[in-house]
Amino acid sequence: MRDGIAVARAGRPAVAFVTTKFEPQGNFVARAEGMPDVPRVIVPHPVAGIGLDAMGELALQICDEVIGRLRNG
Amino acid sequence: MLSAADADAALEQLHANGCTDGLPVIIPTAERVTRMILASGLDADIELGEMGPGYGIATVEKVAVAAVMAGCTPDHISVVVAAVRAICQPEFDLTEMQCTTHCTTPMVIVNGPAREAGGFASGFGLMGPGHRANASVGRALRLTMINIGGARAGESDMAIHGSPAKFGFCFAEDEQASPFPPLHTTLGYSESQSVVTVLGVESPHSVLFTGDSNEAVFADALLQTIAEAIANPGSNNSHLGGNGAVAVVLNPEHAAILHSVGFDRSAIQRELAARALTPRALMIRLNPKMLVGKEDMIPAVRDSSKILVLVAGAPGLYTMVMPTWCAGPHGNVTVHAEVELDQFCELPTPN
Repeated sequence: MRDGIAVARAGRPAVAFVTTKFEPQGNFVARAEGMPDVPRVIVPHPVAGIGLDAMGELALQICDEVIGRLRNG
Repeated sequence: MLSAADADAALEQLHANGCTDGLPVIIPTAERVTRMILASGLDADIELGEMGPGYGIATVEKVAVAAVMAGCTPDHISVVVAAVRAICQPEFDLTEMQCTTHCTTPMVIVNGPAREAGGFASGFGLMGPGHRANASVGRALRLTMINIGGARAGESDMAIHGSPAKFGFCFAEDEQASPFPPLHTTLGYSESQSVVTVLGVESPHSVLFTGDSNEAVFADALLQTIAEAIANPGSNNSHLGGNGAVAVVLNPEHAAILHSVGFDRSAIQRELAARALTPRALMIRLNPKMLVGKEDMIPAVRDSSKILVLVAGAPGLYTMVMPTWCAGPHGNVTVHAEVELDQFCELPTPN
């Protein structure tokens, strides 16, 4: 979330990826950083350790949503 | 400012608002907080630093609230203030520490006259329980991290298991029993100064060793035993390239074994860093995806000066090793701050 906010602050389109288990923390950080509405995409938890094939499937699943957020915020 | 019908209702309100560590607290009434601020000798609105991840400003007043809640006496507030100043230094990476899934927590070591002024324990059971100053000051620091820093389990503090040490981890070095100069003098302070030294660590890991002083073979074996504990292949230290730190709390008997054959603090640090190695082949077999480091023998601590060596505890079989998280932007740096005892104000008799 902090990385997404840093990119957004730099004036670039940004989307943060947050897993379901970390959604409350992501929301907390976004509020604390003063950008509560920074674009984010929620993905299933966990992502780390799921393997390349599952990671690829996940990327395909969220691809359109990420592009949409980058275009429209 | 909260209001409640009575103390029981106030306690329930504090629990409900997530303002406690789960245990009962002393209700921080305006009178108690005012007394604690007065004891600090500092103005209430002095800003000691910013505490992430909520980015609250740690004023003396807010820190005094935490000290009251934790059960501190007026003799403790200067140490709490110094500990807050220390962990708010940017190189401590407080925000990252508070948010990580690791179980890291600040370990506060008290040196100098503040040890006796505050009644800090450095012998039997110094890491708890049973010593008011150690428990209260460690707890007060945690309460600042919760209420000023905004760390709450599962919401902003994402530690997977947490740690009993996160309730509070504070003790004094046993300067009298130590054969080495007091820890704070190695950081540039004089013996007459009071200092808190803080490192983010895991809970203590026990290291068993028995031997006699005056025989080099025992010193060598003791160093190797401690080094093997530091080089735990499951630790972050072993996995993350050796860029973090480690704390080693020698009991006075173990310290005497090393000192008797000529080891000083820096020699112990160098020996432990050189010996705390794990074969790369083992690390690759165990957990290849997390491994950082190219050597055939992976160091747990690459920079020997990042091994914090001090003396505390009762004489006996055990030394304590505290591994670290290692993953903050600054790689788990030791921070320190002077305890300003001369600011203490005389307190009026309570009503």
